[in-house]
Amino acid sequence: MSQPFTIAVPSKGRLQENAETFFARAGFDLIKPRGARDYRGGIAGLPAVGVAYHSASEIVDLLAQGSVHFGLTGEDLVREQIADAEEQIIFIDGLGFGHANVVVAVPQAWIDVRSMADLDDVATAFRIKHERKMRVATKYINLTRNFFAVHGIADYRIVESAGATEAAPAAGIAELIVDITTTGATLAANGLKMIEDGVILRSQANLVAARAAQWGSAERDIARGVLDRIAARKSANAFHEVRTRFARCDDALLAEAKQRFEVEAPFGGPTSSGMLTLHCPPRHVHALASLLREKGADHVAVVELEYVFSRTNALYAALEAGLSSVSRP
Amino acid sequence: MSVAPAPRNDTLLASFERAGYLRVAPSILQPAGPFLDLSGEDIRKRMYLTTDAQGRELCLRPDLTIPVSREYLASGGAGRPQGYCYLGPVFRQPRAETGGASEFWQAGIESFGRMDTAAADAEMLALGLEAAAHFGLSEPIIRMGDLGLFSALVAALKLAPAWKRRLIKDFNHKSSLAQDLDRLSIGAIQAQAEYQGVLSALAGSDPRAAHALVTDLLSIAGIAAVGGRSVGEIADRFLDQAALGASATLPGETRALIERFLAVAGEPDDAAAELRAFARDANVALDPALDLLESRTGFLAARGIDVRRIHFSTAFGRGLDYYTGLVFELHDPRARVAGQLVAGGRYDALLTRLGSATPIPAVGFSVWIERLAQLQG
Repeated sequence: MSQPFTIAVPSKGRLQENAETFFARAGFDLIKPRGARDYRGGIAGLPAVGVAYHSASEIVDLLAQGSVHFGLTGEDLVREQIADAEEQIIFIDGLGFGHANVVVAVPQAWIDVRSMADLDDVATAFRIKHERKMRVATKYINLTRNFFAVHGIADYRIVESAGATEAAPAAGIAELIVDITTTGATLAANGLKMIEDGVILRSQANLVAARAAQWGSAERDIARGVLDRIAARKSANAFHEVRTRFARCDDALLAEAKQRFEVEAPFGGPTSSGMLTLHCPPRHVHALASLLREKGADHVAVVELEYVFSRTNALYAALEAGLSSVSRP
Repeated sequence: MSVAPAPRNDTLLASFERAGYLRVAPSILQPAGPFLDLSGEDIRKRMYLTTDAQGRELCLRPDLTIPVSREYLASGGAGRPQGYCYLGPVFRQPRAETGGASEFWQAGIESFGRMDTAAADAEMLALGLEAAAHFGLSEPIIRMGDLGLFSALVAALKLAPAWKRRLIKDFNHKSSLAQDLDRLSIGAIQAQAEYQGVLSALAGSDPRAAHALVTDLLSIAGIAAVGGRSVGEIADRFLDQAALGASATLPGETRALIERFLAVAGEPDDAAAELRAFARDANVALDPALDLLESRTGFLAARGIDVRRIHFSTAFGRGLDYYTGLVFELHDPRARVAGQLVAGGRYDALLTRLGSATPIPAVGFSVWIERLAQLQG
């Protein structure tokens, strides 16, 4: 019959550590019953779910083929490796780690080049002067081609680069590069600078679903359960719980708190005795507690949340919406 | 699976050989570099690419113009007039929108080294028409353009070099430059307020002063020269920019002129007359390009082609940046198949870019075998 429900997880590096932390926070304990070197594993207490460990780039291929249901990988790789990515996969959620921008960078000495329009002009002038095209070193061949086409740049050649792309201009292998950067420090250290409007993609690790995988009712049930816990953890991360009780706690105060601090009142307004439970973004907690005490509260208790389960599940809704939209040809 | 080898194709090739063209069969596996260099990176997504053990990028040939050109350059007779014909499969990834076959057959002719430009141009269109007739299509729609005319116009206009480069490049990559003129602007100037002082200081100065200024700017900023472009090139571009002045958009009267030029279309003789009048009014010198257009039309008529059937348009291009002069396409008047049946043009700059030390004139065309065969049912 069909393959078991499988989640592909990065097998090495920072991405793996972050992925494991991400699952652990959602209450999923990733296990490798046959030892740490094994590339097949599971989730404790969820025998129906398999975990497959692969490189981030292989995960994209597996998603495109539909041989796994979910995968954790970088959006940059998905968009590079799959043409028309949205037709093959569904981006369920950005995970808040693995941030990197894919950018166009040129030598700092090109003080006349600030924008992609400059680069367009320089590319054509370069071709006419040197009777060859400017070379762009990158591993993001498709992203580069599409971005350059949008900006009308035609006079360039891509030089495929497997590693240390930022060293290519100094080595004379290319005139400019397209690469990922987080802070720009590596670019600067190699005498390069970003083009101002040259950010091709702001990427992060994503939870991605494969359209081509088997999506029967059994698989959807599993997906709903997994996403329920991930969503509950995500909501919990977004808020701290703030509790108080005082006589003058009323709806007007609640309205003010909602307006000023983006709080939610998941269990309704103040009770007759003035009991109130609020969910407040962590950055506003202190200001909220100050307001509550100004209005008469003697004590305000704040706790971190473990999970916030809701009737609606935005992540599962995203999966369902993706699966029911125009399917693959 | 491919349908091609059929007796009709062999008789087509035999007719090319009788016309004096040497039959060649370049290898199917080709170095990918020349295609990417000459047709642009955009063709990459249409190519079947692979890598050999030494890491060289190879491809299944997506057309035969470049392979035949390379064979000519390697033949030892480069520079001398020589014509070639070919028949064989080419490989392109189907477009996502339209689908289609990934392997199909092309026949064609490439003619190198002839100095009688107008006659050689006319012969290509005539042979292209014969190829269509060979498959039973005696009166295809003939679309024709001439990139030499647009180049001559741009050269004659009083415009900054940056504008000239931009216009030529965009003409090659957009068949509808006219609609695009609105959006065209060189954004660089506004974006560079902080260099405005540099630019006005440079306005009217000479390259040496500009060179010295850029050298100073770089050394003040502590930038060691790195990568590809020399200080001189950067200085030259600052001079270009200074010459552009404050206006980042195309001057209104120039734009109107270009639009009027690109609106010229019709039978070649009428178009030529209209362009003569245009050149007089606008006081731009287009004579050599117009002489060639008229002379070519004369050769076509002499070959018995009814030139009134030709739809000539100054705005017609083929979207490939190696064409330099004549471009043409033949289409089915009843539109039973999508796309051109025969197409070609002049590409005088290609052989230099493939490594020839001297420029060698070149003109040719390709025949889409399956499309023509499909018309016959």
